[in-house]
Amino acid sequence: MEMNDGDNEEFGFSRNYFLAKELRGSGKRSHSKLSDIDVVDEQELIAAASKIEPKHEKEVKELMNSYKSSYSEWAFELRCGLGLLMYGFGSKKALLEDFASTSLTEYSVVVVNGYLPGINIKQVVAALAELLWDQLKSKRKNPGSSSKVQQPFSSRSMDDLLAFLDEDRTNECFVCVVIHNIDGPGLRDSETQQVLARVASCSHICMVASIDHVNAPLLWDKKMVHTQFNWCWHHVPTFAPYKVEGMLIPLILAHGNTTQSAKSATIVLQSLTSNAQSVFKVLGEYQLSHSNEEGMPVDNLYASCRERFLVSSQLTLNSHLTEFKDHELVKTKRNSDGQDCLHIPLTNEALEKLIAELSQ
Amino acid sequence: MAHSSASAGDSPPPSSPDTTQNNLQHFFVLHKASEKLTCNGKARKRLDLSPTKLKPEKKEWDERCLRMEAFQLVWSGIDSTIKDVLRNMNARVFNDIHSWVRDSFNTNTIKPFPPPSPIVTHQLFTALLLTKNMEFVDDFLTFQELGLFLKSHGCHVANLSSFDFSPKNGIAGCLASLLRQFLMRTFDAADMSILASWYSQQGNYGSPVVVIINHMEQCCGPVLSDFILMLSEWIVKIPVILIMGVATTLDAPSNILPSNVLKKLRPCKFTLGSPAERMDAVVEAALVRQCSGFAVGQKVAIFLRNYFLNQDGTLTAFFRALKIACVQHFSTEPLSFMLGQLLAKEDSKGFQSEKMVKGASEILLHARDQMAEQTDIPIAHCLTELKRLQMVWSSIVLCLYEAGKCGKIQLLDLFCETLDPDIYTSLASDNPTGIGESLATSLSSDRYMLEQDLSFQKGQTICQVVRKVRDLPAALLCQLLKSWDVLTVDVPEIHDKVKELQALLKFEGGSCKPDFTDISRRHTSHSPLKIGKSQSINGKAAILVDCMVRYFMRPIECIQCHEIVCFRNVEKLQSALIGDSRKRIQVDLLEFHKILRCSCCSRSGNIPLSSMPDTSIVYTLAQEHGDLINLHDWFQSFKTIASQPSRKGECKLKQSPLPKRRKDVNESENKSEASIQARFCRAITELQITGLIRMPSKKRRDSVQRVAFGL
Repeated sequence: MEMNDGDNEEFGFSRNYFLAKELRGSGKRSHSKLSDIDVVDEQELIAAASKIEPKHEKEVKELMNSYKSSYSEWAFELRCGLGLLMYGFGSKKALLEDFASTSLTEYSVVVVNGYLPGINIKQVVAALAELLWDQLKSKRKNPGSSSKVQQPFSSRSMDDLLAFLDEDRTNECFVCVVIHNIDGPGLRDSETQQVLARVASCSHICMVASIDHVNAPLLWDKKMVHTQFNWCWHHVPTFAPYKVEGMLIPLILAHGNTTQSAKSATIVLQSLTSNAQSVFKVLGEYQLSHSNEEGMPVDNLYASCRERFLVSSQLTLNSHLTEFKDHELVKTKRNSDGQDCLHIPLTNEALEKLIAELSQ
Repeated sequence: MAHSSASAGDSPPPSSPDTTQNNLQHFFVLHKASEKLTCNGKARKRLDLSPTKLKPEKKEWDERCLRMEAFQLVWSGIDSTIKDVLRNMNARVFNDIHSWVRDSFNTNTIKPFPPPSPIVTHQLFTALLLTKNMEFVDDFLTFQELGLFLKSHGCHVANLSSFDFSPKNGIAGCLASLLRQFLMRTFDAADMSILASWYSQQGNYGSPVVVIINHMEQCCGPVLSDFILMLSEWIVKIPVILIMGVATTLDAPSNILPSNVLKKLRPCKFTLGSPAERMDAVVEAALVRQCSGFAVGQKVAIFLRNYFLNQDGTLTAFFRALKIACVQHFSTEPLSFMLGQLLAKEDSKGFQSEKMVKGASEILLHARDQMAEQTDIPIAHCLTELKRLQMVWSSIVLCLYEAGKCGKIQLLDLFCETLDPDIYTSLASDNPTGIGESLATSLSSDRYMLEQDLSFQKGQTICQVVRKVRDLPAALLCQLLKSWDVLTVDVPEIHDKVKELQALLKFEGGSCKPDFTDISRRHTSHSPLKIGKSQSINGKAAILVDCMVRYFMRPIECIQCHEIVCFRNVEKLQSALIGDSRKRIQVDLLEFHKILRCSCCSRSGNIPLSSMPDTSIVYTLAQEHGDLINLHDWFQSFKTIASQPSRKGECKLKQSPLPKRRKDVNESENKSEASIQARFCRAITELQITGLIRMPSKKRRDSVQRVAFGL
């Protein structure tokens, strides 16, 4: 019976996959361009994004509150040596911090924001050791043999720090690590995950983490899952907006927006002399007809412009190019032959539009 | 950023956390540990449960503490039992390895005359330990244990894992780890001479130095080669003996190491037990013999079996599943604390402490409505009976397993079947009379009814065991009866019958006469076994199995008060163990109204409504696309849905007393356009965070890629 279910599921999955592939091949595929959307000014977009009215505020709040009844169970599981892994749609930042501040008061709690890039994991571990040390000191018991030599934690090696956190002590001191987005950009690499797994397996550490990416479990191998993290999964969708988590992700309509840059390019070019505009057009047309090349070699450009009587000397061309470069209309690249090539950093569609506007 | 995080150690106190700043810090201290009372099993005094003295909150807290104590007691029991079982299984191999280490060490240190050629002297004694298991996660513990075992026998031991042989750290990483383990210190510049001088010191010299490498196949080949070459160069000063775990076959070293390195090894082969053998041993110790009183229901047992067989086949995964089951039992079952008391007081004066029983009855009354009607049954009696019946059940399962061993029946399968309440009830309903009487009639009958009574699917393994017993050759049957004799010693009813059968077998074999005297002396009221005369001894044994199953094998779920010891919530276990993030996150988005329970969106079916969360709208729309989603089209359809309620806004404009100027209207339209675009962007960002779409590549700027197809 169970096998059948599994088979059906698998069949459904592959069916969907091939249907989707088919849809792509068929004539139905749309060729509309992103640039056809009349995107508002980037600043306006960002401002609007910060003012989005939340939907279902009441229900979301109720949902959050409904998880409060599970807090004692979560704390119990944590205390039994399991790690808590929260998943489900919606930001779990507020939920986890609320849980930690209401139910984990007997532990010191460190929060790691995994959604931020460039986290220095060693600093985190050193901070954990520092907190444990404080806690041990305040209990006025022998904090352990290795800690007699008081070397600052920040200058100790990772192995030393982990050994300190894992030392066998009779007293029950715990430091809890709450990791938002353990699958986030700052923690995603395998080396960091290995360190986190080792931290989680330390006897004085308990770990609560959240994941948002559907493929997050692929970060861990069996050893990490079964013996180090010891995850106990909890499905806690919150439907709270990913405000902080999405903070650093560029808005799709603002990022690399062709309309915006084409627009600003038109404005710049219109302020230049007609000769300069024509030089730009020569460059643009070359780029459109040779879209596979790195760009137009400077010598080529000079030759074509001279033919059309647009420039009389290399010097005048250079002055035009300097102008273009200053306004980021043109970039220089070196091609495989070692020649300097000029390239307009716009997509072909945007460039076509721009040239059409210049010709009017 | 780095500056802000570096100072996290002295961050502001928990009372006034600057949230926005905290959100931008890599990490921060949320709060420091308070001096509150903790659930500490050892430090805390035993709690007085008399209900009058306690406030409700305090009482709840105390109950939780009791359950925590109980968990710690029970789990430490299971944990140590499983470790012991595995250790015992490995003991023989470990002993062999130890004597090999000693022999090798002696060969190394006793200098023969004339001195052998330099090539021979630079060879390292190397044990290749075949683990017979591709899943290396199960063997970490084995290698740790091996290290401890050798240490306890006077060897210097260092355990290295494949991580120590990473190309990034190179040979320095291995050396640092060696120095760390042997000298208990970290050195800035790791050097073999430090190790050599350590070994020449008084006290260290004269004992073998063993380096264990867990998983040879996973090590970086060049680093391992360098390591071996280095050790062989230093072998005169420090005679290292290597032990390498090999998951595949004996030719693994030749696949990884070049021939000049292979020449430096003098290998010897050892083999560990297979995963299936270990699994059976663990199930026997932890679940059938119930080392700590904790039991699982049939559904949970089946789930655990399937998890082991289908999910990943490692003992470690099974161990974790069992732990989670145990944790959930104690965290959710109010009565579970009694199991701890049961264990704690077992050795001394029995567990019928008056206070505990009183407290338990209170909890029974308050916490379990369905049990409330049963409170007139003395709970202490219940517990005694529960324990007795469990013991009988476990003896019978072991008897069946013993019988099934020659038929290669797995204990795990048998275990699941013997826990089935349906089998018990279907068999029990046939016997309205008392057990004793029915037992006598069944035993004297000439037929075995079990196969008829059990439907084909239900009791397949048990029937297989019965058939096995019937076909067993005399010598094996004799052995089987011997083992039954030991296993049933605490169940006199069965034990007697086993004795009788043993006597009959001896008689039939002609070695001696049936010795009924001993039995009849003990049980004068019972006549000697009256098993059908026409039956062969095998038939009689099969009938005995039939009777054992029919009358004595009561699954835990059919015993009163089983809630105290038995965990049955398989859905909860499954969801804690296997979080299906890929499916669940999509379901969250597509069927969000089931979670949010809002009235406005539940009637929509699959049609997106403007009241739905933006990300849900966007993701529902994405379902209509192929593997590439055109951003423009996607945005337009989102806009159509999102702008539905804007009509309200228009109405408002019309109602306003002063007609707005055209510019204002344009501005507000612009604003709503901006907000729709912003909402779309936010929804895409959220989908990006969940990983359900892949962002546009440089080639395809106009479309994003769908990642998940179907749930």
